[in-house]
Amino acid sequence: MVNEALSICLAYLIVYVIDAFLLSWQCLTRPIIVGPIAGLILGDLKTGIILGASLESIFMGISYIGGSVASDPTSATFISVAFAILSGQNTEASMALAIPIGTLMQSFSGAMMPFWSSLAPYWEKLAANGKIRQLFSQSLVVSILMQSVNAVVMFLAIAFGTQGLDAVLAKLPAWAMTGLGAASGMMIGIGIAILTSMIWSNTVGVFFFLGYVMVKFMNLSTLPIAVIGVVIAVTIFLQDKDVIDVKNAIMEKLGKGSKSSDEKGFFA
Amino acid sequence: MSSNQVDSKEKKILNSMFWRSHLTFLAFNMVKMEANGFTLTMAPAIEEIYKDDPEGKKAAYQRHQSFFNTHAVPFSFIAGLSYALEKQNKETPNFDPEVINSLKVSLMGPTAGMFDSLFFNGLRIIAAGIGIGLGSQGNLLGALLFILLYGVTQSIAKYYMLNWGYNYGTTFIDQVFSSGLMKALTKATAILGLMMTGALTASMVNVPLNWTISINGANLVIQDVLNSIFPGLLSIILVFIMVRLIKKGVRPSYLIFGILAFGLLGALIKIF
Repeated sequence: MVNEALSICLAYLIVYVIDAFLLSWQCLTRPIIVGPIAGLILGDLKTGIILGASLESIFMGISYIGGSVASDPTSATFISVAFAILSGQNTEASMALAIPIGTLMQSFSGAMMPFWSSLAPYWEKLAANGKIRQLFSQSLVVSILMQSVNAVVMFLAIAFGTQGLDAVLAKLPAWAMTGLGAASGMMIGIGIAILTSMIWSNTVGVFFFLGYVMVKFMNLSTLPIAVIGVVIAVTIFLQDKDVIDVKNAIMEKLGKGSKSSDEKGFFA
Repeated sequence: MSSNQVDSKEKKILNSMFWRSHLTFLAFNMVKMEANGFTLTMAPAIEEIYKDDPEGKKAAYQRHQSFFNTHAVPFSFIAGLSYALEKQNKETPNFDPEVINSLKVSLMGPTAGMFDSLFFNGLRIIAAGIGIGLGSQGNLLGALLFILLYGVTQSIAKYYMLNWGYNYGTTFIDQVFSSGLMKALTKATAILGLMMTGALTASMVNVPLNWTISINGANLVIQDVLNSIFPGLLSIILVFIMVRLIKKGVRPSYLIFGILAFGLLGALIKIF
C-alpha cells in the first residue's frame, strides 16, 4: 500500500507541476485525465477511465475562476480512484466521497497560501536586480513545495486510510451504502447546475433541452451532439455577424459627414 | 501602433516569449497573482530592449512585478502588447512608462471575463462533454480528445494572441469590443455549452428513486410514473432547483453536503 501511495503522490506532483505551472492549461489536472493516470499506476486502467469521466462531470462546474476553488479536483480524483481500486469498494461510494475529500484538500492548500504570499517582496527584489534565472528556478521550487503539502496529505490518506476506510465502509449499514450511491448520482448535477447558471441566458436557454432530448430520445452520443451544436452555433454566429455588419455600415454612413478620415480607427 | 513588419530578431524574441507565457501560474500567490509569470515572459523582450541601459532594465522588471491576473490566453496578448509598449518607451523620449501598467490593469478585467466565458465555460464544457461521453464507456480516446481540444488549443491561441498583441496593440481589442462581435461569439459558445450541459444531464445525472406506494394492493412505482410523463424528469428538476439556488447565492459546498445528507436520509426512509 505504501508503494502505491508513493507512486500516486509522485504522479500528482508531476502532473500538477507540468500542467498548472509549466503549461498553465488547467487541463491535465482535470479528473478526466487524472482518472486514467491513477488507473494506469494502480493497474486498472478501465476503472480509472470510467471513474475519471464520472468525476469530471461532478467537477466540471468547479474550476479555478479568479484563483480560488471550492474543492480540489486533482487530489480528490487521485484519492477516490485509489480507494475504488485498492479497497475494491464500489465506485459509487468512492465517488460520493470525492468532493468532500477535495474540499478538505483545498482547505489544506488554502491554509498555506498566506505563507506563500509572503514571498512576494522577495520575488520583486529578485526581479528588480535582474536575476531572472533565479526567479525562474526558485519560483519553480516554491511551486513544487506548494503542492507538496497536498501530496503528503494524499500519501497518508492512501497509505493508511484505505484499510481504515474499508473497515468503516464494511461496518456501515446497507442503507448508508445505498444513500452514498444515490448521492453520487445526484452530485453530478451540482457541477452541471453551476455551469448552467453561469452560461444561462433566456435567449439561448432552450438549447439545454435540445441537448437533453438528443440523448434521452435520440440516443446520440456526445460527439455527434457537439458537431450538431457547432453547426447551429456557427450558423447563428454568422447571422449575428451579418446583422452587426449592416448596423455598423449604417452607423458609418450616418456619421460620415461629421467625422474626418483620421478618426476612422476609433469609430465604434 | 500600426501593423508593423516583424524582423527575424523580433520573431525570435516573440517565440521565446510564447514558450515562457506558459508559466502564467508559476508560484501563483494571492498578493501578486501572476506577476512572476509575467516578469518571466517579458524577460527576453526586456533584455533586448534595455541591453545597454541597466537602470531602464531594472525599472522595467520592477514594472512587470506588479499585481497581474487574467486568463492564461489573453495573458500572452497583454505580454505582446507590453513588448510593443516597452519598445516605444525606450525609443520615444517623452513616453510615460506609467501608461504600460495602467493599460495592463485596464485590460485585465475585460479580457479575463471574455476568455473565462470562451474557454472555461465554452470550450472546456464542449471538450469535457465529448470526453465524458467516450470515457464513461471506458474509452481512453475521451481523455486524449480532451487534451487536444482544450489544452493544445490554448497553446495555439496563446501563440496568435501574443503576435496580435505585438502587431496590432490596442486597436485589436477596440475592434473586437466595439464591433459587437464579442457578444455574438459569447452567444454562440453559450448555445454549444448549454446543449452539452443538457446532454450531460440526460446521460449522467441520476436520481435513483426506488419508491413504491401500495394502494389497496396495487403497487405504484413513482419513478415509472414520472418517467412516463417525461423520461428523467427528476434529473431536470434537480438540476434546475440547484441552478435556482446557485443564482440565489447558495455556495456549492452547501449543495454538496446537502445532497450527501439528502441521499443518506432518503435511503434511511427507503425512497432510494
